Amino acid sequence: MSQAVVSVNVGILLPVLAPAIGAAVVLVTDVAVQHLRRAHYLIALVALMVGVLATIAGLGLVSGANRRTLCLPGSGQCMYVADSVGSTLQLAALLAAALTLLLSWPDDKKEEPGGTAVVVSLVLAATAGATAVAGARDIGSWLVALELATLPTVALVALRGARSAISGAVALLTTALVSFGLLALAAALWFTATGSGFLSPANALASSIDPVRRPILVLAVVVVIAGIGFKLSLVPFHAWTPETYEGAPLPIAAFLAGVSKIAALAALLVVIRAVTPLGNTALAAIAIVSAVSMTLGNVMALRQNGVVRLLAWSTVAQAGWVVLPLAAVSTDAVHAAGAYLLAYVLATLLVFAVVAALVQIRGAERARTISEYRGLLSDHPVLACALGLGLLSLAGLPPGFLGLVAKVAALRPVVTSELWLLAVIAAINAVLGVAVYLRWLLIVISTPEATPQVPLAVPAPAAPALVQAIRVHPATLVAVGFAAVALVLTSLSPQMLLGLLGG
Amino acid sequence: MVILLIGALLIPAVTGTYLILAGRGPRPVPEENANMISLAASVATALLVIATVMARPVLNQPWLTSLGVRLHFAVDGISAPLLLLTALLSVAVVINARSRPSHGGSPTTFYGCLQLVELGALATFLARDAVIFYVSFEIVLVPMWVLISRYGDSHDLAARRDASGRFVLYTVLGSTLMLIGILALVQASGTADLDALAALHGAGIARSTQIIIAALLLVGMGIKIPIWPLHTWLPPAHTIAPTAGSVMLAAVLLKMGTYGVVRLAIAPLPLGFGALAPAFALLGVIGIIWGGLACLVENDLKRLIAYSSVAHMGFVVLGLSSGTTVGLQAALFANIAHGVVSALLFFLVGGLKERWGSADIATARAALREVSPRLGFALVVGFAASLGLPGLVGFWGEFLAMYSAWNPAPDRPQTFMRFLVIVAVLGAGVAAAYSLRVLRLIWSGDRTTPAHADARGGEWSVLAVLCAAVLVLGVAPGLLLNSTSKAATAITMEVPR
Repeated sequence: MSQAVVSVNVGILLPVLAPAIGAAVVLVTDVAVQHLRRAHYLIALVALMVGVLATIAGLGLVSGANRRTLCLPGSGQCMYVADSVGSTLQLAALLAAALTLLLSWPDDKKEEPGGTAVVVSLVLAATAGATAVAGARDIGSWLVALELATLPTVALVALRGARSAISGAVALLTTALVSFGLLALAAALWFTATGSGFLSPANALASSIDPVRRPILVLAVVVVIAGIGFKLSLVPFHAWTPETYEGAPLPIAAFLAGVSKIAALAALLVVIRAVTPLGNTALAAIAIVSAVSMTLGNVMALRQNGVVRLLAWSTVAQAGWVVLPLAAVSTDAVHAAGAYLLAYVLATLLVFAVVAALVQIRGAERARTISEYRGLLSDHPVLACALGLGLLSLAGLPPGFLGLVAKVAALRPVVTSELWLLAVIAAINAVLGVAVYLRWLLIVISTPEATPQVPLAVPAPAAPALVQAIRVHPATLVAVGFAAVALVLTSLSPQMLLGLLGG
Repeated sequence: MVILLIGALLIPAVTGTYLILAGRGPRPVPEENANMISLAASVATALLVIATVMARPVLNQPWLTSLGVRLHFAVDGISAPLLLLTALLSVAVVINARSRPSHGGSPTTFYGCLQLVELGALATFLARDAVIFYVSFEIVLVPMWVLISRYGDSHDLAARRDASGRFVLYTVLGSTLMLIGILALVQASGTADLDALAALHGAGIARSTQIIIAALLLVGMGIKIPIWPLHTWLPPAHTIAPTAGSVMLAAVLLKMGTYGVVRLAIAPLPLGFGALAPAFALLGVIGIIWGGLACLVENDLKRLIAYSSVAHMGFVVLGLSSGTTVGLQAALFANIAHGVVSALLFFLVGGLKERWGSADIATARAALREVSPRLGFALVVGFAASLGLPGLVGFWGEFLAMYSAWNPAPDRPQTFMRFLVIVAVLGAGVAAAYSLRVLRLIWSGDRTTPAHADARGGEWSVLAVLCAAVLVLGVAPGLLLNSTSKAATAITMEVPR
């Protein structure tokens, strides 16, 4: 009997199953008991934590070691493989989703459109997609998982119902459809080139030495890069990013900047690792989009005054840094891309969490542009320090050692492959990036007296900082605290994070 | 013994972080206490640094195993004088800042940033791993940026923003290019250990690769040194920064660049550096002339000293480029000499700027000789050393640098180097002219109004100690030259001749 049946190991699949089952449980609970609010969030957090625990076994595995399941009898090929890189990205996706939920934790006053059950189950579904794509090793489930990670976010953006939300959601949906079309084409090309649905180096190797099939394989990789470029916000597929971020509720923008990017990179890494036999030729496309993304992203971010738009353009630039090491073919490059992504996600989520806290304290109007952050250091020192750490980490400057080390890791494969021009472009972008984040930080640390504001227009904050802090929702404070502590710890010992990705 | 070294790094790190965070608490630390805490920490650090320099402990622990980076810190003859300079000047800036209220922000942040700058500088000079060197190099950036942008010259907000922005952006560009060079060097030679890199002398790296890597490193660190034409960040940063910031910037941070050239370019890449040395020397000599000419017409005294720094670092570059042991020692000596002299002058000018309300030397003021003989004496000593008067500290480094470039290593173009020396001599003449111009304008004369107070207490003791250092090292240069000779010989000995 076992000859004919695909083997299933639930333990290994748990990082995917936990959020998926959590989504189902939330929906069932909502049908059974109406008007629950916090319960949905609690169920979701439990599901995500179960998933987190399930990833631990896959962390820090040495190169080549992995945990596999859904294996076809006979051939030894498996549809789901969790190695150290995949498990780490799953862990990051689950934690980032938990952080997003904390940021959107419901308070008693406002009613959420669609109810909490919808929001929570959509977040869980997208997270399940993100964790699934990290483990997927056949082109079918890879494609489905990637779309599962994307489509719920369209609904999450649209749910608020405002005009800007709808236009953001439409931009995202259009992008998602085009991207899906490209990826489906890539899947077909892959199948044509290799004759197999499995994304494994062995399959790619066979066709990379065949002069007829090799161009098809190269084309498949280039189309994959384009398709995923949409999801990673790489230039020239980035145009949806600022609009969607601004239209979405803040926690959902954080989700797009966190979990969605993890899903996209995880999907890209699955393919990149399969095509290592192709060598550098197919990856020239990555070098180009990386260089253009970081440059355009940074230059545009320098011109933004809106906080969310600045973060959106910073995402574009950082996405360029994330794929930068992949321009070189090596295991180091895969690890470096993973490390850079994790550093970026952690720092960005911290910044989003601080912005969310400020929105609660001051109202959305007074936290929308960076000029509103003047004097934050004197008004809200703790939040300002957390924001400063996040920004410096994104800029890759001490005390944000994690960002600095990520920059070193990302540049290393590029230098090793002697791509000097790309390295110098990256250096120039390191400068532009510093300018982007220090511009904001300078406003945060400057004294409030220098503000040329009309004093009457803004009600003076009469209450001292401690009293004001209470107005922040405890869940948001937990999110800020969690992200800040994680960033401080990984900055003190970046190896804690690098080690997860394995040797 | 390792505990000494760890302590020397940990004390400024912890004190700096504490001061920055404590200033934000519900009950801010008063300025007086911040100064006392800072002074205690700096003195303790200085004692530990002195002990470290004597005991020479080594710390070597894995840090980023995935990237092969080790926490490797140690002291040798090249870094010892720089470590002492950093630690002692850190004490001096705290003493000098006493009883001067820091405007622009909380005093605790000011002192905290000074501590972090000290941490970064000490870690840079102690680092024995190339990547750790880069990481340490970056530590000073943000604190120095805060010092310039928040505590700088209070007159002009836009100028502060411009100066601090230029400083940080130029430096990041330089250090990132340096990082690329470091990564390439580590990749090519298979080790990140600076001692191992120096011992290899570039063995196994092709000449063309050496040239590419050396070019990246020299451009990167050339921004920090700074060499002409990459120096344009320096005058505004020095002019705008508060006294403590200017002193640390000129006396300590600029040295990180030249020190890096010795460690990362000259020692591990002899062929690559040798090929680029004539161009490097040419830029240095252009800097000597350029800085000198700018000083002849500059009326802002802080900016003038900043331009003179460009000129002085030009001599260091000339010495480094000669490829000889004497030249290397001359460069290391001139490094320290410039550290002492520029610290003296920036302390002095910072004090004068407070008294005068500006640093403009064209305005008619009371002659220092008449109203404040102590300040006047320090000014004469400082500018006399700056023009390279024999018997003072400025002489040896520049004289030996020119001497070594006159007789460069055999693989250097001798005629070209000699031509550069002749130009450098002209530059030394210009230095004499601008130094005497400054003395004529603000030291001599018989005006006694508007009178101002002379230096007393902490300010005077700092100036006096620095004047003494200028004289002692000028009379007995062997104190320093002996310390560096062994390490310098080890670096140049095996240069292919």
